[in-house]
This record gives sequence, structure tokens and C-alpha cells, in this order.
Amino acid sequence: MKKLFKGFAVAAALTVSAGGALNAHASTESLDKILEQVKQNRISEGKINKAREQEFLSDRADKQALLNKAKRDLAAEKARGERLNKEFKQNEVTLAEKETELLNAQGTLGEMFGVVRRNAAEAIGAIEASIISAEKPGRSEVLRSLAAAKELPTTRELEELWIAFQTEMTESAKISTFESEVAELSGDINVKQVTRVGNFNLVTKDGYVVYDAENKQIVPLGKQPSSDVLATVADLLSTSADQYTPFVVDPTRGAILRLNTQRATVEERWHQGDTVGYIITALLALGALIAVVRFLDLMLVGAKIKAQIKNANNPSDSNPLGRILKVYHDNKNQDVENLELKLDEAILRETPRIEAGINIIKILAAIAPLLGLLGTVVGMILTFESITLFGTGDPKIMAGNISLALVTTALGLIAALPLILLHAIVAGRSKSILHILDEQSAGIVAAHAEKERA
Amino acid sequence: MLVLVETWESIRDFVATGGDVLYVVAIALFLMWVLMIERYWFLLAEFPKIKKGIVARWDARQDTTSWYAHRIRDAWISEASEKLDERMLIIKTLVAMCPLIGLLGTVTGMISVFETMATQGTGNPRLMASGISMATIPTMAGMVAALSGVFFSTRLEARAKMAKEKLIDSLPHH
Repeated sequence: MKKLFKGFAVAAALTVSAGGALNAHASTESLDKILEQVKQNRISEGKINKAREQEFLSDRADKQALLNKAKRDLAAEKARGERLNKEFKQNEVTLAEKETELLNAQGTLGEMFGVVRRNAAEAIGAIEASIISAEKPGRSEVLRSLAAAKELPTTRELEELWIAFQTEMTESAKISTFESEVAELSGDINVKQVTRVGNFNLVTKDGYVVYDAENKQIVPLGKQPSSDVLATVADLLSTSADQYTPFVVDPTRGAILRLNTQRATVEERWHQGDTVGYIITALLALGALIAVVRFLDLMLVGAKIKAQIKNANNPSDSNPLGRILKVYHDNKNQDVENLELKLDEAILRETPRIEAGINIIKILAAIAPLLGLLGTVVGMILTFESITLFGTGDPKIMAGNISLALVTTALGLIAALPLILLHAIVAGRSKSILHILDEQSAGIVAAHAEKERA
Repeated sequence: MLVLVETWESIRDFVATGGDVLYVVAIALFLMWVLMIERYWFLLAEFPKIKKGIVARWDARQDTTSWYAHRIRDAWISEASEKLDERMLIIKTLVAMCPLIGLLGTVTGMISVFETMATQGTGNPRLMASGISMATIPTMAGMVAALSGVFFSTRLEARAKMAKEKLIDSLPHH
């Protein structure tokens, strides 16, 4: 490498000097100098090469010595390898012997440890998911190591499994109260008093909570069960330890409570009915209002007529019977046929006012189920629309619209039933008043006339 | 006593599988029967007394042929028949309402079936079965209630009519 570099330097010098010759007419003196230098270089390079050759020669002797040493080492290692191989084979045999010995010594214990491992593995899931773990966390670690262990468990470890099972069993018979972190629906985590009922349910003063085994946290329900169920929670929390109280338990350990959050409330169902539902509700309100107003009015009129029957001498203008009696008093001296015609006329005048509004209630009662049917049809149209868009693959998409369709039918019936009943009550009242006017007013007049004549 | 407890338990089971609409059917049925029993009692115990009173008053009259006598007779008959027909309209309405309430139960049951389908899919027919029993049991209950009412309310009406006719017959012109 050094040599090569030197050669380059010389060549560069030559090129530079040649350029100089072209440009500046260099003197022969400097050229001689260069020649001299090249010659001297040749002499010194030869010396260096000689020295290097010498060096290589001395190295060769060293390497030979090294080679001999390595060969000796190889032979030694080979001998060792053979020895170890022999030893290994010997050990294998011993190991096999020892293993049979161990197996003989274990006897049926081996099978038992298999059972222990399997049971420990099964218990992990049950104990981690159990709400008792909310109160006593970290019970599954021992079981986990027991289930994963390759060697035989010790007596102490076996006892741990026993204790784990018995703890679960004993705690499941207890109602206990403890402080724990409880997540809120808002996302905050507060420390609260939690009461555990066996291994079934957890309750706080706000109602039921469930245990999320995956995140090891007590979480709230999206929606609490109905108020009569919640009332038993309040009873439970206010009952002292030595008393009995009825309490609604979810025996599925929270599954039913979770399913319950998906159920729609009455109000949500009502809103499902949408526009048609609101119209039906409005009809119900209107019909009920008319019925109540008419009923009160008829009661008032009925009472006034009752009072008038007892006091036929003084016909008053404020009630229908009084107005009819007044016709008699005005036409006392006419003959019977004429009087009857006048009375009939007076009765006909009163009839419409008594019957007013009653037919409207009947019509509203008839319209409500029809509107419900309309809502059903609209819902079915939406259902088929979704079938057109998404196909029939997912029943969930269709079912949503169908339940919407049925809600309006139900609303229609719910509106119709009380309206029919109200109509029957109001119509009964008006009929009885009409009876009095139609069939009895002439009799009252006749009785009054007889008394006057007597 | 045990029989009573067992009966009560089976009724509670029935109501639990049938849903809340069964309560409405029960209320309608109860109301209907209370009213009908009251009507029967009136027909058998009260009305004969009223009838006797009217007949005695009519027999005591001198004048039974004039226009006045006729009007008075009509008024008495009308008063009596109004008492006979009292609340009959409500009974008939309740009888007509019973199948409607059953229909309401059908619809609410179907709503719950489709709600289960919406949340759980159609995979498990058992989940839907509870909604279907909620749909069918009130329908049946409504029908049975209506049937029991139809027969007796019709009989009641016929008897009331008969009683009125007999009253008219026993008020002769003399």
C-alpha cells in the first residue's frame, strides 16, 4: 500500500513537471534532480523489501509452533468428548432407572396431582368471576401457580386449593358489607359502601351494581330494575344483621340484571309509536276530556231533574224537565191531544242537548284502533324498506321496525278500551235522563194534573 | 290450606307467564261478574217488591182508562224498566271489551317477542317462547272471560225483558 502510494506520488510529480515544461520552459537542471531522486528511491525500497522478507521468514517459524500446539489441543478435546459421551449415555440409563423408581414411589399420587391441577385451573375462572373477588381480591394467584406447576405440589399448596374452595363456599352463604371503589356511569370512581349478598348480587345505596371480572372492578348497571325491585334493596340495607327481609336476588349472578338494561321502559315504548302514537294519545286525551265534561254535566242535570220531580208545582227553567212542565202549565186548559203534541215538541227540543258529545266519544273509540292499524302498516312499510336495503340476513334490523309497528296497534287498543268504557258510562247516564223525559214526563204531568183536579 | 296455597301458586305462575295484561282481564272479569251478580240479586230479591208496590198502587186507582191514567201507567212501567236495565249497558260493554283486552295482550306479547329478536337474534327459540306465551295466554283469558259473560249477560237481559213484560201484563185496565 505504501509502495503504491509512492508510485502515485512520483507519477503526480512527473505530470506536474511535464505541465511546467509546456508552460514555463523548465531547465534541465531540475530534471536531473528528479532522476537522481528516483534512483535513490530505488535503492531505499530494495532495502525495505529485504527487511520485510526477513520478517516473514521469522514469522513462519512461529506459526509452525502454533500449529503443533493446536493439533495437540484437538486431540485432547476429542478424548474428552468421548469420555463425556460415555458419561452421558450412562446418565441416561440412570435417569430412566430413577424415573421408574419415582413412578413406583408416586403410585396413585400422580393421578391425584392431575386432578388437583385440573380443578385448580377450573376454579380460577369461577373464583375470578365470582363477586366475592370484589371483596377479597387476589385469591386466584395461588391457584394459577398450582395449575401451571410442572412439579408435584406440596402439601401446603394442596391446602391452598382446599382453602380457596372453602372460602368461596363459606362466603357465598354470607351477606357482608365492605368499602370498595365503584365506577359511576359518569366515569368517576368513588369509594362506596357495597353490600354483597352471597355470591349472587352486589348492591350499593343507589341500587344494584355488577362485578366486571375482566377489569376487576365494580361497575354500575346502565338501567336499574323496576322500583318495586329497588325497594327491596333499600329494605336490605336498612335491615340489621339479625333480622330477615325479602330481597330480590338475581340467581344468574348479574346476567338477568344486564339483560334487563336492554328492555325498553314504558315511556321508551310510547315514543317508539312516533307520530301515529302521539296522535292516538291525543285522541285518548280528547275523548276522556269530553267524557268527563259530559258525565259531570249529565250528573248535574240528573240531580236537577230529580229535584224537579219532587217539586212539580214550580217548574224551573234551569232543567229540561222543568221546561217541559212549563209547557204544561202554559197549556193547562187545552184538550189532551193538543197538550200531548206540545209536550212531545218540548221533549224533542231537549233531546239533542242531552245526547251531545256522546257520539264523538264513540267515534274516537272507533278511530283509535284504526289509527293503530295505520301505524302498523307504516311500520311494515319501513320493515320492507329495510329488507330491500339490507336483505333478510339480519333479523335484528327487521325486528326493530316490527316492534315499532306493533307498538301503535297496542296504543290504539289501549286508547280504545277506556274510551269504550267511558262511552258506556256516559251513554247510560244520558239514556236514563232521556227515559225520564221521553216516557215519564207525560206521566208526571198527568199525576200533577190529577192532583190539581182532585 | 295446602290446596289453597297450591292454587294460589299456580295462579301466580299463570299470571307471571301471561304478563300484566292478565291483570286487566281479571279486573274486567271481576267488575263484570260483580255487576251481573248484583243484577241477578236485584231481579230475584228487589224487583218483586217493587212490582208488588206498583201493582197495588194501580189496583187502588179508580180511573184506569183515561189519558191521564195511561200516561201515569207508562211512567211507572218506564221507571221500573229503567231500574231493570240499569248498568246493563256497562255489563255488555265489559263483555265486548274482554276479547279486545286479550288482543292487547297478543300485541304486547308480540312486541316482547320482536324485542327479544332485536336484542338476541333468532338463535334461541326459548327466549322468544316467553313472549309467545305472553301473547297467547291473555288472548285465551280474554276469550274465556267474554264467553262466560256472553251467556249470563244474555240470560240476564232476557230475564229483565220478561220481568218487564210481566209487569205490563199485571197492570190491566179495569
